[in-house]
Amino acid sequence: MTLESILFYILSAVAIASALLVVTRRSPVISALYLILNFFCLAGLYLTLHAQFIAVIQIIVYAGAIMVLFVFVIMLLNLGDERKLSEGMSYKKVIAVGLAAALLTELIYIIETSWIVLPASTVSQGTDIGTVEYIGLQLFTGYLFPFEVTSILLLVAIVGAIVLAKRKY
Amino acid sequence: MFALTPYIVLFPLLGFLILGLVGSRIKSEKLVGTIGSGVVGISFLLAAAIFIQMLGLEEAKREHVVTLFPWISTFTGTATSLSVSVAYQVDQLSILMTLIVTGVGFLIHVYSIGYMHGDKGFWRFFSYMNLFIFAMLNLVLADNFVLLFLGWEGVGLCSYLLIGFWYEKKITGDAAKKAFVVNRIGDFGFLLGMFLIFQTFGSLNFDTVFGSASVMSVGNPALKWITLLLFVGAMGKSAQIPLYVWLPDAMAGPTPVSALIHAATMVTAGVYMMARCSILYALAPTTLLFVAVIGGVTAVFAATIGLVQNDIKKVLAYSTISQLGYMFLAMGVAAFSAGIFHLMTHAFFKALLFLGSGAVIHGMHDEQDIRNMGGLKKYLPVTYKTFLIGAIAISGIPPFAGFFSKDEILWKAFSSDYGSVFLWLLGVLGAGLTAFYMFRLVSLTFEGEERFAHDTHPHEAPKSMTIPLIILAGLSVIGGFVGIPRSLFGGNAIEHWLEPIFASANSKLMISEYKVVWSEYVLMTLSVGIALAGIYAARIIYLKRIEIASALVERYNKIYSLLLNKYYVDEAYDAAIVNPIVNASDKILWKGFDVRIVDGLVNGSASLVAITAQWARKVQSGVAQNYAIIFIGGIVFILTWLLVK
Amino acid sequence: MNLYYTDLITNSPLLTLTATGLLLILIESTKSTRTRLTFGVGIVGLAVTGVLACFHLTPEQSTFNGMMNAGGYGSYFTIIFVLAAILTFLLSRSYLERMGNNKGEYYILIVFATVGMMLMASANDLIIVFLGIELMSICLYILVGFFRVKDRSNESSIKYFLLGAFATGFLLYGIALVYGTSGSTNLTVIARSFPTVSSNTMFIIGVALMVVAFSFKVAAVPFHMWAPDVYEGAPTPVTGFMATGAKAAAFAVFVVVFDRTLGFSGGKLNLVIAMIAAASMILGNVLAIAQTNVKRMLAYSSIAHAGYMLSGVAAANTEGQSGVLFYLIAYLFMNLGAFGIVGIMEGEDEKNLSIDDYAGLSTQRPVLAMLMAVFMFSLAGVPPFGGFFGKYYVFLAAVKANMTWLAVVGVLTSLVSAYYYLRLVVLMYFRDGKADVPMKPSFAAMVAVCVSALLILQLGLYPSAVVQLVQSFH
Repeated sequence: MTLESILFYILSAVAIASALLVVTRRSPVISALYLILNFFCLAGLYLTLHAQFIAVIQIIVYAGAIMVLFVFVIMLLNLGDERKLSEGMSYKKVIAVGLAAALLTELIYIIETSWIVLPASTVSQGTDIGTVEYIGLQLFTGYLFPFEVTSILLLVAIVGAIVLAKRKY
Repeated sequence: MFALTPYIVLFPLLGFLILGLVGSRIKSEKLVGTIGSGVVGISFLLAAAIFIQMLGLEEAKREHVVTLFPWISTFTGTATSLSVSVAYQVDQLSILMTLIVTGVGFLIHVYSIGYMHGDKGFWRFFSYMNLFIFAMLNLVLADNFVLLFLGWEGVGLCSYLLIGFWYEKKITGDAAKKAFVVNRIGDFGFLLGMFLIFQTFGSLNFDTVFGSASVMSVGNPALKWITLLLFVGAMGKSAQIPLYVWLPDAMAGPTPVSALIHAATMVTAGVYMMARCSILYALAPTTLLFVAVIGGVTAVFAATIGLVQNDIKKVLAYSTISQLGYMFLAMGVAAFSAGIFHLMTHAFFKALLFLGSGAVIHGMHDEQDIRNMGGLKKYLPVTYKTFLIGAIAISGIPPFAGFFSKDEILWKAFSSDYGSVFLWLLGVLGAGLTAFYMFRLVSLTFEGEERFAHDTHPHEAPKSMTIPLIILAGLSVIGGFVGIPRSLFGGNAIEHWLEPIFASANSKLMISEYKVVWSEYVLMTLSVGIALAGIYAARIIYLKRIEIASALVERYNKIYSLLLNKYYVDEAYDAAIVNPIVNASDKILWKGFDVRIVDGLVNGSASLVAITAQWARKVQSGVAQNYAIIFIGGIVFILTWLLVK
Repeated sequence: MNLYYTDLITNSPLLTLTATGLLLILIESTKSTRTRLTFGVGIVGLAVTGVLACFHLTPEQSTFNGMMNAGGYGSYFTIIFVLAAILTFLLSRSYLERMGNNKGEYYILIVFATVGMMLMASANDLIIVFLGIELMSICLYILVGFFRVKDRSNESSIKYFLLGAFATGFLLYGIALVYGTSGSTNLTVIARSFPTVSSNTMFIIGVALMVVAFSFKVAAVPFHMWAPDVYEGAPTPVTGFMATGAKAAAFAVFVVVFDRTLGFSGGKLNLVIAMIAAASMILGNVLAIAQTNVKRMLAYSSIAHAGYMLSGVAAANTEGQSGVLFYLIAYLFMNLGAFGIVGIMEGEDEKNLSIDDYAGLSTQRPVLAMLMAVFMFSLAGVPPFGGFFGKYYVFLAAVKANMTWLAVVGVLTSLVSAYYYLRLVVLMYFRDGKADVPMKPSFAAMVAVCVSALLILQLGLYPSAVVQLVQSFH
């Protein structure tokens, strides 16, 4: 087992565990903190894939900016303990968990049985694919169009946020 | 010139659209009438222009197809692809029909301006009439069965709308419904025939179908069924036994409608269709015989009913059925051009007679019973004279139009390879009866003593009504000259004109070269003599010695009431078909099937709907989590299925 | 890679509309609440886009480094989307005024939703597919909840958003699996490697997950659950826009990915789609009968129509593709027209939305009743209206693809559907009632519904022009 795979398993385990904790904790602040942990694990996973730029961005943007915003909002709203929302065990939950488990099993089975290794020519190799330079080059050449579309997408999201949030109605 | 063909069809449509959309806003009746008749008039002029051009062309160049646009096309490249275009075919037959439809139609439109004056549905009337002309032109100009069927259904719809035009009266509504239902039976046959054509020929275009039919052999079983089914359609539309029952009732509609739709044009659609498909019929001798017998029997049968009817329009209605019988008799003995010839002359004199009766009804303030008329010639001189011309023409007295066409049919019924003495006898008998009831009508309506109340003041119709009468009377006099037979030293121009249309059918039928023989003169004299006898008898009985009529009625009371009640056919249909169906539906279907099963089903389905709704409400709870669960359920199902399969 | 000038020219419809959207934002941001200007500029921009698309109906070419297929198929759909947007514009103005919420952002969002749809239809890369879907969906989420003060509108919005995000998750998972097995997100490359990977289960499952996401967007059973609630809660013109434009966009991308790129035929996935189609037709039509709210009824009807169209997708032959394309344009007019009339009829506070509120409409508003009857007949698939030929072609495709059972289900459920469509006609014409509109319909709205009805008739009487056009795309 290489160092990479050891790291992968540790980070994945922590990521899954923290993701589960995000949705099961009752206190929103604690959930938010587990989410930060989850983001850090994801950043670690990016690093093992030689995607150092994405990893850094993940930490700066998500774990940093977005999560700070999240925590602020939670504190401003003063949500406190959200006991009301939990309903305990119900048949609905059982079905939901059952279906989710079935789906998970099937996906694992599929990936296990029909894993294929692509010919080397089709995937970019090397350690430089995660550099700022490489990503910048890709973004502004081959992927320029999706990049521009994304900017429109964000613009629309801003418009939408204003429509929904602006005070004067 | 041929390029103008689509406009013949489009102008009436334009009229319909204008009147239908903004007609209610136009206050001036004059304007509505002008638009309504104008568009038909323009169509007539266009058709006439094309006709004149065709006269100048040599025979082979007279046929022309103008394709507007492809209409239905299944995706290309498949073996049995149905492709139908909106395309109009101009040839000797269709241009003749177009001229009749637009020409007679125009006169009737003009007449309607006077007749419908003051009616609150004036614009509605003209928009329906324009729509009818549009549909009828599609029918006669179509170059494929689908478009023909569209026109066929379209005229049926307009007929329904116009019979029920005065929808406040119950009787008109019932009549409209009856016409609709009976026609539906016929149309169903026609539709089946079309399916069979598509199955047999793989196409519904006239050219293709008739082209491949012309290399088939006589007696092909598929063709027998096709022609029979198409004829079932014709029976419904053209009011032949046993589907004629709707036509007398259809007289409940306004009189111009009776003249246009139920005398001159729509009811002849079946005859036109048979003429168009002559090659198919030529290959099915069994059907031909069937058609001839149905036509001949209808001609006599309807004429006998006409003898005793007292409603002026009912007499004419039965007369129409009888005359349509003549046309089918002609078709059945493979005298296609004679049938079309009679179609044309009949359009003239029957439209004339109907419009004349309309003028009488108009002048008598909606009185229709001839027992309450008499002596009207003093008050309605123009109507009387024109009506008399029409009556002479239909009776077949030379040299009026009806003589030539009817005599042609009678001669062919006798001499054709497909005719027989029996068919000829039917025809002659019908001719005598026709002459009798027509002059009974003339005598009782216009002559003799005045039997109407003194406060009725009959008056002559306005100019807009009498001028069409005069024109039609003129046509009824001279219209037959296009078909003077060779035996009378004429050229029989119309037969010659139509020859190319029926050429392939005639060659299949191996109709022998026409020769003038002495027997023709004998038969001709005989039929004219019988017609004259009929006229003479009518005048004696209803003018000179009225007591004979009542004596006859008393003596042959049973026959009289049998005829008066139209052989109890309506009652028989009620007893044999309608009531059993009603009863069966009442007892078996309603009490048994309906209550037990259908109601069970309906209540069941109502409760099923309620249950599903209940269930759906439970599932469709509005809770997004539930939706997500179903979503996941769907995915799991799909993935499992994909993995297991 | 060079950004060629020609790329900009061939993508001019897309760029024009994007520029229009940006311009509208600028107009709105000048503080003057002149929605009239926004409305006008938006309509002009859409119209210009449509005209440009008409000029690019042929040929199809790869642009932006293989990201987009400009022209041809994409242009056809551009025309559909633009028509949907213009009709929605016309129907919305008076509706929004009546509801007291005529804001410029509404039109901006519709324009950008249209941009998203165009991206979906012209996409040649799964990344663009994803971005297009998201751009469209985000606009729709907001539009559904545009009446912020109404609970139902809010609820619909959040519901649609949650489930939409859910579906997006599966879409991305599917894209990831396809990328993992074929090594590219570019559809051309995937198509090239299709023969080698088509037997790979992971690839199949990837495509299946994408099918699931698309089925969600077209509201097919069992991924339809959001539709009735959202359709009911959204502002009526938005519902119409979603049921036609958004559905057309989802079908566009469905056909691109499933039929045009991968060319599956006779496979297991075709059967999966056929099953989804059959379930949609059955459930949609049966449940529509039980509805008393017109918008909900039309929502279930739109589920059923998704089923009809999916039969064409499942058949995966050329007839099926052309059939879907034809169906969509007919469906656009008949459904948007029907929603338009519902919008005209609708009063404040969700009045006049029950089916019974249409009783006797023919005596009060003969023109509206007649138009509604046309739309209902067309939806029921009665000739000579456009809806008939749509159904005819997709069922024909199903028969050709040896899925006769699917066509049989389609015809039978069409019969069922006649019941609830014609019930409305019967109510309008043969029942006494005092149905009337709350206020005089605006000129723009009347133009929209009249034009829709005329085009329905035109498509029914003369379908060949469109049929020949859609046949030219493969």
